[in-house]
Parts: sequence; C-alpha cells; structure tokens
Amino acid sequence: MKKRITVIIVTVITLLTIVSYLIFQMLTDDQDIEEVIKQEFRSLGQYVENVYSIEYLDDDRVLIFYSWSYPEYSNLGVLELEKTWRGWQFVEAISNRIEIENAWLKGVYAEITDHVILRGTVTAAVEEIVLITDDGREYCPSVGKAERNMWYLILEDEPFEEATFILFDRNGEVIREEVLQFDLNS
Amino acid sequence: MNLSLKYRVLMIVVFAIFIGVFLYYYGTKARQEQAVAEELREYSYIAREYALDAIYKSTEFPVEVELYPSAHTEAILERWKAISDRYPELDYPEAAIEARDWIEVHKSFEDTDLLNGVIRKMYKDATVTSEGLGVSYITLLDYIFYQKYEASNIEDVVIDLGIEPSREEE
Repeated sequence: MKKRITVIIVTVITLLTIVSYLIFQMLTDDQDIEEVIKQEFRSLGQYVENVYSIEYLDDDRVLIFYSWSYPEYSNLGVLELEKTWRGWQFVEAISNRIEIENAWLKGVYAEITDHVILRGTVTAAVEEIVLITDDGREYCPSVGKAERNMWYLILEDEPFEEATFILFDRNGEVIREEVLQFDLNS
Repeated sequence: MNLSLKYRVLMIVVFAIFIGVFLYYYGTKARQEQAVAEELREYSYIAREYALDAIYKSTEFPVEVELYPSAHTEAILERWKAISDRYPELDYPEAAIEARDWIEVHKSFEDTDLLNGVIRKMYKDATVTSEGLGVSYITLLDYIFYQKYEASNIEDVVIDLGIEPSREEE
C-alpha cells in the first residue's frame, strides 16, 4: 500500500514537472520579440522610440538598435536581450546622446557586455557605407532606416580611433567622404 | 475523515500562515516593482534633459544605471552657470555636478516660484518687454536646456545681459 502511494506521488510530480516545462517552452517559444522589446522600452522609461534593426548574434542573444526621445530622436540606444528559460530577458542597454543637426555623419563608440559597437546617424540619402580604419582595415556597416538613418557595426576585431567613411547613395555613387574619431574611453 | 479539533485548528493556522506569507511577498514585490519603474523613469528623464549618456546594467531591483555627461551637457551647464553667476538665487550646485549626482543636481529646478522670480528679474534688467508673450519659468528652462528662443524674446534678453554674444559677433 505504502509503496503504491509513493509510486503515484512520484509519477504525478514527474508528470507535473514535464508538463510545466513544456508549457514554459511553448510560452517562451511563442514570445513575440517585438512585444518583448516594447515591454523593455516601457520599463526603461524611454518613450517614443524607433527601432532601426534587430540583430541576432545567435539563437539566444539579440541586439536591438534604436533611438528614443521626442522630437529629435537624438538618443541612440542599443539593448541586449538573452533568451533564458524565463523567456527573453534584459542584459544591458546603452544610450548615447548624439547631436544630429546639420551633420552628414555622426558616430559613437560603445561597449555592451562583451561586444564593441560603433553606431551613429547618417544623412537620409545614404544607402551604403564603407569605412576604412586608420590602420587600413575595411568594414561595411549596416544602415537601418526609421525616423532617421542609423549606421551600426558590431566589431569583432580590435577597436580603432579613427576611420574614413565613404558614403554611397542608392545608385552606388560616392556622395561624400567623412573622417570620424572615436573616443574609446567613453 | 475524522480529524480531531486540534488537527483542524492546526491545519487552518498553517493555511493562514501560508496565505499571509504569500500576500506579504506579493505586496512587497509589487511595491518594489513600482519603485523600480519610477526610478528608471527618473533616470531616463534626467538622461534626456541633461543630454547624458546612460548605461543600464540592471532594470530590476536593485536598479543600476550609470550616467555620463556628453558634449551637449557641457553647453547646458555653461548656460546655467552664466545665469547663476548673475542671479545667484538660481543655485548652480557645483559639488553635485562634480560628483555627477544628476538627480541631486536637478533639485535646483524644483522651486518654480524662484525660477519665475529669476526670469522676471532678467527681463527687468534687460529692459525688454515680455508683454503678451506668456513668459514664465518654462521660458528659462527652455533656454537653459534646449537653447530654445521661440515663443518668447528671451534671445534679446540674454544678448542684452551679455550672457550670449550678440548676433553680429557670431
């Protein structure tokens, strides 16, 4: 009799654990990343925001490039989320103030968790950017479009302090070259 | 089942304690969440107003946010200091600014009557009329934080007082 009860209790507990695990999995799999991002903006208290890009580093890590604050959208944000058993969770966020008026190109250096990120605003006509560092490396930052144009680069190599940016329009014509300096201590 | 009265009372007490702990835990948690949300809102507000860079390390209890001045912050502080030098009743909290305690810094703008007094004095000293322009402490804050001249003639006032260079010199 006692043995039977023990077996029943153990079975019920095991089943409950498996079922709740599956339900959790289902809930977190179904989580709409855009909803999660909206919720994160709300908890950061950063209203009137614009998302430029959602960049998956791998299946469980994502960087969101955005700008916030009405009306200038002059605060550039980057937010890192990680997928855990509780669903997408906040890891870190960085906001940089950038002056955007009358500038072809602006940029700022930031470190978020273990990534180096360069990002900034660029004038609306620009479709593609090539940057050449002072030590001769070449990169193609992505350009995200929303309220403004934002360029960003997730850097996996050594950071650099200066780079020449070549800005192309949609016909592939060079419209401008600009040199930007980055403060690596910021 | 025929439980004795003692056991029934014991069960009810245990149950009541359980419910009590549960309610206390959720009550505390809800209050904590509210406090966290308020703190984060305040950080974002201060970051926006003072043009600060912000690093959010934790958005749960305990909240961890680091704020750093940007180039634009320096311009805000310069305008503020220039007015405070002439009108010392507008406090310029140098110690808090150096300590980068921005929430403390912002307390200088809490007293709107004092700010209204400062802006009235500025117009009086500059002998510029503010009639019909609805000038108030907001005009002063708009100037200090955004260097916004519209909807008032504050530009004439700050030029006249020597806080800003005149237009020809630019």
